[in-house]
Amino acid sequence: MEEEEQQNRPESCENGREDGEAEEQRQQEESVLQFLDSMDGYLTLLDSLSSTLRQGWIDLASARHSMGVSRVTSVLFDLKLHSASTTLHVAEQGGDFSLIADSMGEQPHFVLYKWSSSDSGKCGSGEIEIDKRELQQSSSPQLRHRGASPHSELQKEYPAGSTTSPKAYQVQNERFKLLSVFGTLVSPKLHTAQLSFETALGTLVKIANMRSSMLSAFAQVQKQSQATTKMA
Amino acid sequence: MANRSQIPTCNSALIAMIADEDTVTGFLLAGVGNVDLRRKTNYLIVDSKTTVKAIEDAFKEFTTKEDIAIVLISQYVANMIRFLVDSYNKPVPAILEIPSKDHPYDPAQDSVLSRVKHLFSTESVASGRR
Repeated sequence: MEEEEQQNRPESCENGREDGEAEEQRQQEESVLQFLDSMDGYLTLLDSLSSTLRQGWIDLASARHSMGVSRVTSVLFDLKLHSASTTLHVAEQGGDFSLIADSMGEQPHFVLYKWSSSDSGKCGSGEIEIDKRELQQSSSPQLRHRGASPHSELQKEYPAGSTTSPKAYQVQNERFKLLSVFGTLVSPKLHTAQLSFETALGTLVKIANMRSSMLSAFAQVQKQSQATTKMA
Repeated sequence: MANRSQIPTCNSALIAMIADEDTVTGFLLAGVGNVDLRRKTNYLIVDSKTTVKAIEDAFKEFTTKEDIAIVLISQYVANMIRFLVDSYNKPVPAILEIPSKDHPYDPAQDSVLSRVKHLFSTESVASGRR
């Protein structure tokens, strides 16, 4: 009986060691998969960004062509004191990569705050959700009317007593404020370019988050392969 | 725990840009432009007259400011200061290399992808198999 128990002990130890190695192997493969997934996501988002930016540049060039080169130029940029309307919120991310975060440092997570009110100060008023329907309406090109100002266009789109949310109204107001840097009458292509670059901003924030995921996963893979090399 | 790098969290961080005029114009239309009390902007427009020193100074300034979370830099501009970009390894601000009108994005030149590509080099694969 005692001899049988003594025989079983080394076998169970060997089984335990094999289970441990199999578990390590599984974790390593999982880390590699996570890294490859995030790298694929990173490259796909960059491809999407290239398309969006290309559209924005084309619209900008069209606006410059119709309005004149001197009307769409960096010389007109407002150099008076003003805060950015679109900002970011940076937080530490745990979640799936909490193990990596513990060993290799925290992973930053970026959140885009579009068109936050300048009146709300540094704390920000939170992410402003734009009604998709209103966004689609505003993105359709409209004819220029002589003598019309961006603000009168705004009143036309959102007449008093309309059911449009105040946030959407505020967002449109912020957009027109920036467009008015280039004059009272602007080409619809400039507005389309603005929307393209807004979309590009959203993609850029996703790229930033995917980048930090990729670097975390890479650090994890490196750490595991170094541990494996030491054991060998 | 002593080696954990602290990520500066910020509720209202900015996006800085070092790019050509059209790219900067577009993103300013999207609302990222900021001018502070000293009339310093969060962007640098790069043209044919911009010196490498000016680009380096802007990069160093944007990467050391606490209220900047992302630095967008056109890849062709990043190539002019490649050593500086590649040696930067903090999590925030994140450096994102973007395409420009005349220079499409090339993954082979991206500093982040260069950092991880050695994982796939034949040397690292061979050493794992020994």
